[in-house]
Order: sequence, then structure tokens, then C-alpha cells
Amino acid sequence: MSEQMSPERMSPETQTTFPRHVRHGSNSGQPVSRRDGRLKVTGAATYAADNHPEGLLHAVIATSTIARGRVRSLDVEAAKAHPGVVEVITPANRMPLHHDPNEKMPPFGFRVEVLQDDTVRYVNQPIAVVVAETLEAATEGVRLLAPRYEEEDARTGLDNGLRHEAQSVGVGAPGTVSFGDLDAGLKGAARVTEGDYSTPPQYHNAMEPHAVVAEWDGDTVTIDMPNQALRMSAASYAAYFGIPAENVLIRSPFLGGGFGSKAILNGPQILGILAARQLGRPVKLVLTRAQMYGPVGHRGRTWQKLRLGTGDDGKLTALHHHSIGATSSFDDFVEPAANASLMLYESPAIRVEHEGLRLDIGTPGPMRAPGEASGSASLEIAMDEAAEACGMDPLAFRLANYAETQPGTGKPFSSKALRECYEQGAAAFGWAGRPLEAGTMRDENGFLVGWGMGTAVFPCPQFPAEARATLRADGTALVETGGADMGQGAWTALAQLAAESLGLDLDKVEFHSGRSDLPDGGVAGGSGHTASAGQALSNAGGDVIARLTELATGDPDSPLFGAGNIGVVAAEGRLHRRDDETRSQSYADILARAGQKELVGTGKSGRDPASAEAFAMHSHGAVFAEVKIDPNLMQVRVSRLVGAFAAGRIINPKLVRSQYYGGMIWGISFALQEEAVADRRTGRIMNADLAEYHVPVNADVPRMEAILVPEEDPRVSPLGIKGVGEIGVTGTVGAIANAVWHATGIRVRNYPIRIEDLLRRR
Amino acid sequence: MSSAIRSSIRFLLNDQTVELSGFAPDLTVLDWLRIERRLTGTKEGCAEGDCGACTVLVGRMIDGMLTYESVNACIRFVGSLDATHVVTIEYLNRPDGELAPVQQAMVDLHGSQCGFCTPGIVASLQALWLSDPEPGVKDVERALQGNLCRCTGYEPIVRAALAASKIEPDEDNDRLVRAREETARKLIELADGARVEIDHPEGKTFIPASADDLAEIYEANPKATLVAGSTDVGLWVTKGMRAIAPVIFVGHLTDLQTIEETEEGLKIGAGVSYSMARGAILSQVPQLAELWDRLGGEQVRNMGTIGGNIANGSPIGDTPPPLIALGATLTLRKGSARRTLPLEDFFIAYGKQDRAGGEFVESVTVPAVPEDAHFAVYKISKRRDEDISALCAAFLIELDSDSHVATARIAFGGMAGTPKRATHVEECLIGARWGWTAVQAAQAELENDYSPLTDWRASADYRMRVAQNLLTRFFLETSGAPARLDTSEPLMMEAGE
Repeated sequence: MSEQMSPERMSPETQTTFPRHVRHGSNSGQPVSRRDGRLKVTGAATYAADNHPEGLLHAVIATSTIARGRVRSLDVEAAKAHPGVVEVITPANRMPLHHDPNEKMPPFGFRVEVLQDDTVRYVNQPIAVVVAETLEAATEGVRLLAPRYEEEDARTGLDNGLRHEAQSVGVGAPGTVSFGDLDAGLKGAARVTEGDYSTPPQYHNAMEPHAVVAEWDGDTVTIDMPNQALRMSAASYAAYFGIPAENVLIRSPFLGGGFGSKAILNGPQILGILAARQLGRPVKLVLTRAQMYGPVGHRGRTWQKLRLGTGDDGKLTALHHHSIGATSSFDDFVEPAANASLMLYESPAIRVEHEGLRLDIGTPGPMRAPGEASGSASLEIAMDEAAEACGMDPLAFRLANYAETQPGTGKPFSSKALRECYEQGAAAFGWAGRPLEAGTMRDENGFLVGWGMGTAVFPCPQFPAEARATLRADGTALVETGGADMGQGAWTALAQLAAESLGLDLDKVEFHSGRSDLPDGGVAGGSGHTASAGQALSNAGGDVIARLTELATGDPDSPLFGAGNIGVVAAEGRLHRRDDETRSQSYADILARAGQKELVGTGKSGRDPASAEAFAMHSHGAVFAEVKIDPNLMQVRVSRLVGAFAAGRIINPKLVRSQYYGGMIWGISFALQEEAVADRRTGRIMNADLAEYHVPVNADVPRMEAILVPEEDPRVSPLGIKGVGEIGVTGTVGAIANAVWHATGIRVRNYPIRIEDLLRRR
Repeated sequence: MSSAIRSSIRFLLNDQTVELSGFAPDLTVLDWLRIERRLTGTKEGCAEGDCGACTVLVGRMIDGMLTYESVNACIRFVGSLDATHVVTIEYLNRPDGELAPVQQAMVDLHGSQCGFCTPGIVASLQALWLSDPEPGVKDVERALQGNLCRCTGYEPIVRAALAASKIEPDEDNDRLVRAREETARKLIELADGARVEIDHPEGKTFIPASADDLAEIYEANPKATLVAGSTDVGLWVTKGMRAIAPVIFVGHLTDLQTIEETEEGLKIGAGVSYSMARGAILSQVPQLAELWDRLGGEQVRNMGTIGGNIANGSPIGDTPPPLIALGATLTLRKGSARRTLPLEDFFIAYGKQDRAGGEFVESVTVPAVPEDAHFAVYKISKRRDEDISALCAAFLIELDSDSHVATARIAFGGMAGTPKRATHVEECLIGARWGWTAVQAAQAELENDYSPLTDWRASADYRMRVAQNLLTRFFLETSGAPARLDTSEPLMMEAGE
């Protein structure tokens, strides 16, 4: 088999060429290196915990070691007596908040634990905060608290958790959706395949632990923290502390990864801000790695059941996807896993249902590809099983069930180049000629070899966002939006879009971002940041150019006089007559002649409601995986991964390819490695660290190829940008599971796939 | 020993000379850099040597050569820095302030995303770049084993490392090369042969002048914690919140860092790090190569010592099983008294070793693999790299001219409370014809040797089953079976191939 591999391990940068999509002089569409690269490789990029204001106190949270019960006692005296300890904050003396932490705060509010009482609802819940002059003293103070508990039995699984119908899942999606007649579809099927699947609790584990440095000045506060949703968070913090939103300044220039965990408010960060207010001194609070397993969200565990009816022609007659999602005892985030079945395959009857299962755990939250990752991980296996039952090639089976319109609703897709993704991915992988039967391929070393595939899909939202562009007298520009770069490259891609809209080279554009006092950059989540903040920036630039055009075309001495708004092109710092590009005037000249020091434009983003109503909008992709398995030890290695993705307009292929690689590697991790294992007796997570909670190391990463399939979509937004941050996870997980089956003939339906699963069932 | 006693340590930090006294014995390099010196380019991701975000370079004189190694600042103690050169990310750019080749390649090839792991990755790659002029993908992988990237930009990072290797380090592009001679001179000067004693309310720090001095200090302070590489003791502090004072640092003692070829075998000083031992031990026992390169990550191998791995007594330490199978002996010293015992006898029970108060491991002697013997070692872990073993197995057998097993030495880690020989298996094999029948019989005997436990790394059943299967694999390999998944070529291939 190995000779079929393409000899090139690296996907060449030149592999896909793009139209420049440009007015000239633009940098958009180009693989620009990240603008913050220099800061990052020299250690000069500042993350929240790097800040150290004068007079800083260190806060360390004490966290519960039981999953359920109440704190009976804390030895506050001992902790306070320790040299350097300034204060111990407990429910007894915690300053009041203006918003009840047991009440959710819209839009993405969660109930948080900020010492409102002595109840313990999960392991690692904050139960006190020790504030001291040094980190050491605060840490020692925590140890000295020696909490005693009244412990109740922890509810840790299906057998003792509380099941309930989930009215809504994820962040507000309906819990049950049904199209067509499921029973009729199943009855009329030539065959029905069904299976039970499960996905484990996973933790974001961004490299940067959650941190907050807060400094109050009267009723205003400056907060350094990694944050994926600056304005929204600022408003929420303001509500907790009873101050106007504009009194909260969040600075978050760089996030050391977020993956969803830094989009949602959490108790420890509020406590850090609170400690600073209560003590009247700046406070730094940084979570330890272990403390990140509880109060800052995770991907909730799921138990899923899928039933697929197929006809003799290999077409689906019914698709039933049921998912139970673990959630906390006090909040309602249920992983919207089954909704993955609403996006991908055509079927006359589809029913998705969710139940919640209340456990004594921290509330789950969105984690890179929430819903789609866990749901498609199961759906793609189920599709493979159905293909097997039909005696069809997995790709042919998916093509037979290709949804030309959105399943159920029949809405047209705004664009969908999935067929091209299948074609290009399969060709690059060498899928043709794959034996249908499992367990037939071996490599030259005798390892079992298997090939599997999966379809990738993720919605492409466009959130409200705002931006400002200021053209300066020297012809350079300042563009501003409170965006968040958690690694995806916002500092670069957003600047590229701004430069394009202004007709300026990238180096003429100064870009300010990462602060809540800038125009609202919206949420860096849902794979929608470039589409959202980028559109706002682009519109702001467009606004500047429109105003500039007005100045120039109305100026009798301008070479552009009388050209009218429609008649000019902005490029390289000049406006040109469209009908005669030799006639042009520089921006600086236009401003000088108009006697203006600067010209300010603003822009907003938000999806056109008519378009949103009329079309289904998703990014799509196809992932092909090869695994090798040692037949004696059943160790599994992913040896090749090819993904082909169509996600609208690509602003920076270098950044985008990295997002795809990253997503696909998260897929490897989901399929084979990640799992938080809780002790069933205590609810404590036994592997709450980076030694035992396995994320991939370099050597786990196979030869990879990410193909950028061109796609134009004027309906998602004027810029035609979809999203790329999460989709890579979705097809990959199932592709790997299917490859494992193809290598061994063993269907593992529980993630992560373990060696034991493969040994036991031989 | 020297009579001089210093009450401060002296070392170089980037371009400065630092003198420190009165620090706590458990003050970590990372906390000192970030909090005291406000050098915040170095990051804390886990505080236990797993993620590598805290990687810095430490230069020290090894065999008269100034050598820079990547280390985990989060679990390294400041007390271990005497007469070294600590280099942080803030000092890795070119002397003219421009980006160094590794940094530039990381930018150009998009090796940095969120950037939090980046300073550590740059430091690891810089160490590789300085030491290996032509690294292959496998070498890059080895250099990066101790660095996690959650944005998972590994492929671009590997590419960056390969691209940087096209440019040789020289005086214009690297400050460390430019100052090499001067730095070496300073370090030699700083290592003045004096004992160092640091007082602090939490307890005392000793930095002995020599092995003899260590013997004296330890005998007088038998409750002290010996710290060599601190790859385990570091976690007692950062994770276990244990008080470890008084502390005696031994990682700098060059008289415990000797490697000698003796009649009994390779005699390795207890203070020899995995990295320092690599060349000598792999030339004597090439079968250890895979295991050696999968012990922790590069930073851990640069810090951790073989003596520490043994003295620590962990049931899942990776060096004891192969060393026991090879028939290694251990030399312990207390005061001026020395004794030598077979390594396997050192491990008495879980957490208990045959080591008296004030007695320390001085050296381990590793016999060569007998000619014509079959020897293999297997590390089984969930993750390919940077993972603690579920179990570790070492097999050594010699066959007589008739293909019967003449000697068998088999040892496992992770199967019992200590690293332990499989005596029933050995007895069953000795005298038997080395074939499938004997192997099957021996597999059954494993159950008489071990009752492994279940934890999150592996279930008892899995451990037993794999232990049995490893015997199969060993047998197959002695009969010419093909490569293993873990030793096959890297999955990532050379760029441009």
C-alpha cells in the first residue's frame, strides 16, 4: 500500500492557487506570515499572567476535593496567621455582588461559583480564596485551610445521574428536531443499522492557564485576562460589580489558546477581580493546571444512539440520532451532539433528540466544535456501518446520500463545495481501489493498515461586530476593533482585510485590537471571528474610502473631480478614476486639500437576516485517514491524514492551513487519546494534568495534507468568508475510527479507542 | 574537600552575572525568573515538566566543553544553578537584535500560533540548532518531545527546525556562539571548588564542593533531600507541596559524572544525566536506543540522572528493568564506606530501598551484553512520546549451541511495587529449547511472578496480556521478525523527499 502514498509529506504551500480577490495593492488572500510572530518568538508577547502592577497581591483559590456536599469548616485562622497572608475570602466575608451568581446572565451566561454559599457541587469548585503578598504564602495559606466536608455520594455516571429531557442544547438550540415520518422510514428500510456510541469528557487544556490581573481605581477596573469575547465579558463583569460597562477595561492582546474555555465567564476569574476590589489592591490569580479541570468548562460526556434505515439503492430512509449529554447539577449546558445529523445527509425522515444527565461535575461548555465534534464522531461511524451493510464503498455511500439542500428543511445551501472536497481529498489520498473488506491490508512490516473517511461540517456564523478606521494625514491608517487572537491569527487576517478595504499595503495599516474599549469586535468563537470582525473592519475601510471619494470628486482641482462615487478605485494609497487609472490622487493629498487631519469611518457586521432565513450556511470538508496497527500489541498510529475543506473565501492560506492541521490533530486526539477519567467513588479526575491527560505530542502527528478547496459564497456575507477554526475536528474523528475498523474488522464505538478494545475483541 | 564555604551562588543570566543568597531551597528557576526578575517570556503551562512552555537553556561545562541544554525551569531549583549560564527567550535573538535563524524560521513557516508554547519551543530548537548541524526529522522530534503545542502546529514547527538547520550558528547570528570563550572562562572561574551553604527560614541548601564533601554533608544531615536532576523532586514541590529542606544539590558534581569502561562493564557515575550517558551507553548496548530516546522529553533527559532514576525507587522508572536484566550492580557510599550490590537487590518494596540514612548511590556498573546473547527492552505507554510507562520489559537470554536457553534474565517495571525480575519465567525457560512451546509455557509463569494493578494507565489484565505478548515479540525478534511500530521511521518524512 505504501507505494500509493504521495511521496510528499508536506502539503506544499503552492498546492492550491487562489484568485487574489483583490483590488490591487491588497494583501488579502495572500499567505502573509503572522504579524505578531516576532513578538511571540522573542517572548515579548504579553499574556495576562505576565502583568505585574505595582503593589500586586497574589490570590490562590482553594478548591474542593469532594464532588458533592458542603464545606463544614475551614481553618481560616491558621491560614491568616501564615506570614504574608493578607486575607482569606470565604462565603462568610466575601463582598456582596450585584448580580446573583445563581442566575444566568444572558446571552451566554452560566451560573458560576463565587463563594455564594458553602455548597460543593463538583470537584475543584472554589471554596475560598487566599490572598497574600507572595504566591508562595498564598499557596501555603490554601494548604493550611485544611477543609473539612460533609460529603454526599457523588453522582458520576449513567447509573446514578439524573436524566431529563433537554429543552435546549448548546447555546440555545432546540433539544428535539424531527422531520418526516421516522417510523415509516425505518419500517420501509431494506435494512436498519444501529449502534450505541459514547464520547468522554474532554478538557480544553489551552497551554495558557486561565489568569486574571485586576486593578481597581474607584469604580473602574482594568482587567488583564485571556478573553474570547471582550465587550460581552466587560458588560457581564460590570453587572456583577454594579458598575457601568464602560468602567470595565479588559485587555487581552494575546490568548495562549482558548478553544471555547475563555469565551465564558467563570468563577475563579470573577473571584480574582473581586479580591482586588475587596482588598483595594491589584490582584493576580492564575489557575494551576489541575484547577482547570472543573470551573472553566469542558466538552461534556455523551452517550449516543444512532439508527439508520437504508434502502436497496443505498439511500437513507431514516436517520435517528439520540444523545444523552452529561451536565452539572446546577446548570444546563448539554452537548448538542445529535444536531450533527441535521446538517449532512439527505433522508426523508430525520429525528434528533437530546437528554441531559445531571452529574456532580463542573458545567460543561463549548469546546472546539461543540456538538459537531462529538456528534459527527458517532454519525460517521454509523454511516460507515450502514455503508458496510449495503456493501458499498464509504465514499460512494456518502455521495449517494449527498444533501443537495438542507436535510429536513429543504433550504438551499448558500454554497456547498463538498463534492469537490470528496473528489480532491480522495484523489490526494489515493482512496480509489480501497478494498471493501476489513482486515485485508498490511504494510511491508506486517502492520495492519486501514483506510477510513468522514465528512466534516461546521456552521459559519457571522456575529455582530463593529470597527473604526482612521485615515491619517500621512496616508497611513489606524484600524480598530476589540477582537481576540487566541492563536488563529486575528492580528494578521483582520489587518489584511482592513488593508484591502482601505486600498493600502498592510504595512501602512496600524491595527489595534484585544481591548474592550475599542469598537466591539464580537466573539472569537464559533469559527466566526474573521467573518464578523473582518466584515466590520472592511466596512469601516469602505466607509473611509466613500468619504474620501466624496471629498476628491467634489474638489474641482482634483484629477478625480466629477468621477462620482462609482467611478473610483482605491489602491496603494491613491484613488484612481475607474475609467482612466492614470488619473489618481493620493489619500494624503486629498486630506490635505480638504484641510482634514484625519478621516474616520465606521463599520458594522451582522448577517443579512433575509439571507440567513433563505439559506443554510456551513463550511464543509472531507477527511481521509490511514492507520497502522501493530498486530501483536494493537497499538494504533495514524499514519496519514488528508483533509479537503471548502470554507468560502480564504483570507490567509498560511493561517487557514494551520487551523485545518490543528483541527485534524484534535481529531486524532479525540479518536485515540483524550479522556478525563473520574474516580467513580469520589468524582475526582485522576488524570488532571498534562502528563496523564493526553494531548498529542509531535510524534503523534502523521503526514498531513490540508487541501483548500476554492469556494465563493456571496450569500454568507459581502466578503464571502465562512469559518475554518473548528471544522477540522469534525470529519477526522470518525475517519480514524473507520480506519481502525478497516484495519482490524473491529468496530469500536466508544471514544477514545483503546488498545484494550482491540485486544479484547479479537 | 575545600575548607572555603560560600554563602551565595553565582551564575550567569543572559548577559549578567548574578549572585544570590538567602533563597529558599525549593525556589524554582521559573518562579525566580518570572516573579523576581520579571523575565516573563518564559511561561508556566503545567509546573511539572510536562508541557515545556518553561524551557530555558542552561549552559555548563561538560568535559571541558561549554554545552547548552534545554531544561524545564518549572521543576528546576535555583540552588542547582551555581556556575551555570541560564539563557532565556529574551536573549536568544541575534546580537544585532534581529531574529535568530530558529526564530525567523518559526515566524516564516508559521510555527507559532497562540504563542504560549513558543518561547519553550524556540529554546528547545535553539539547543538542537546549536548542537546538531544536520538534524533529521527524527532528531527534531526528539528535541521536541518535551514540548506540547495545543494549537498543534507541530508540522510547521518541524519544518521550521529543518529550515533553521540550513544556517550554521556563528558569531553574527548567535550571542552564545559569540561569547562562547568568555562564557566558558567565566563559568570555570565561578566553579571555585567551594562548598556553598545557603540559609533560609524554610531550611538549608547545601551545594557540596565534591563527592567527598557530599559524603560528609549527607552523613551529618541524613534527613536531607538529595536533588540531582529534580525531575521528580521538582514535582514533590510544585505538585505535592512538600517541604524538602534541607536540600543537598548534587547535579553539579563532576566527580559523580564520570563514565568509565571497567572490566565489570560501563561504570556510570550517579550524576550522569540521560543525555550525557547516551553516547556511551548506546555504543555498549545499542538495544537501549529506543527506550533512551523515549524517557521523558529532551529537557528531562538533560536534567534527570540515572542515579536518581534508580535511587528514587519508582516501580515505573524506565532504566531499572533493562539494567537489572543486564546484571548491573550498584555502588553505594556512606561517608568513606562503599558497598556494591546487584541492582535488583536494591529495590526492597514499594517506596523502600536498601539505602541507609546518609548513604547515597555513587555509581552503577552496566555489564556489556554477552556476545551472542539476545537482549531487548520495550517501553509500553499510551502516548508515543513523553509518557510514563504502563510497563517496561527487558529480556536477556543466552542460548547454548543446541538452541537451549542457558541463561535468562528478565525484568519488568510497572508489574509490581518495584522493578522486579521474573524469576518463575526465567526458571521455566532455562534449559528449555528456545521455541514456541517454551515461550508459551513461560508466558503462563508470568502470572506467578506478578499481580499487576489496575490504574488509569492500564488495567491489570492489559498489563499481564501485554507482558505475555512482549515475550512473544521478543521471541519473534530473535527469529528475525520485522520492525516495531514505535521504532519504524518517523511518520513525518523529510521535507522535499
